[in-house]
Amino acid sequence: MWNSTKSLQLSSICTKLLIAAVFVFAAFLPKMLNAYIAVSPAYSQLAQITPLMVVLYLCCLPALAALFSLDRLLVNIKREEVFVERNVRYLRIISWCCFAVAAFLACAVYYYLIFLAVAIVAAFFGLILRVVKNVIEEAVIIKTENDFTI
Amino acid sequence: MGIVVNLDVMMAKRKISAGDLAKAIGITPANLSILKNNKAKAIRFSTLEEICRVLDCQPGDILEYEKE
Repeated sequence: MWNSTKSLQLSSICTKLLIAAVFVFAAFLPKMLNAYIAVSPAYSQLAQITPLMVVLYLCCLPALAALFSLDRLLVNIKREEVFVERNVRYLRIISWCCFAVAAFLACAVYYYLIFLAVAIVAAFFGLILRVVKNVIEEAVIIKTENDFTI
Repeated sequence: MGIVVNLDVMMAKRKISAGDLAKAIGITPANLSILKNNKAKAIRFSTLEEICRVLDCQPGDILEYEKE
């Protein structure tokens, strides 16, 4: 039977797999880009590969920070520590990581116009997480007040 | 300081231990400790009523306002 514990485990496994995927992606990025250029249409072969590589490597850093924060967040939820200050901090980190990725990709729009769409999506995710963080922050205040009401 | 809880003074006057008071009021000793040590953010009327009943006192005997 599917329950919240199994759902948490699935989220945790997916997060760990994504962390591994980012490391693999970072390790094989030059080879993957060369393969992409080789099979892509002739006009994209004229595109500069170095700026794309720099942007993608830069995006790996906030991606890893966000994934590690997400993992810590899931660990806290497993411990039934949901409305705590630490979780607000993790959500804030994840939100800023999304904005950082959006900023990096926005810089890359000069080379690759398609990144504009990805940057907008990343910024949108960042904004949603910021609102969730604000909600959890208020919930922490209410919970603390409730815990200390005798 | 704001509102100060002088529960320990009244407890000493009535010669009642924290454990006994907690049991009589119907709250946990941990919550009574929060109240005694001025860590509480608020107090329910029902709790205050029980404390006053058990200690045979007025709310003013337990709660005091101190200027910052």
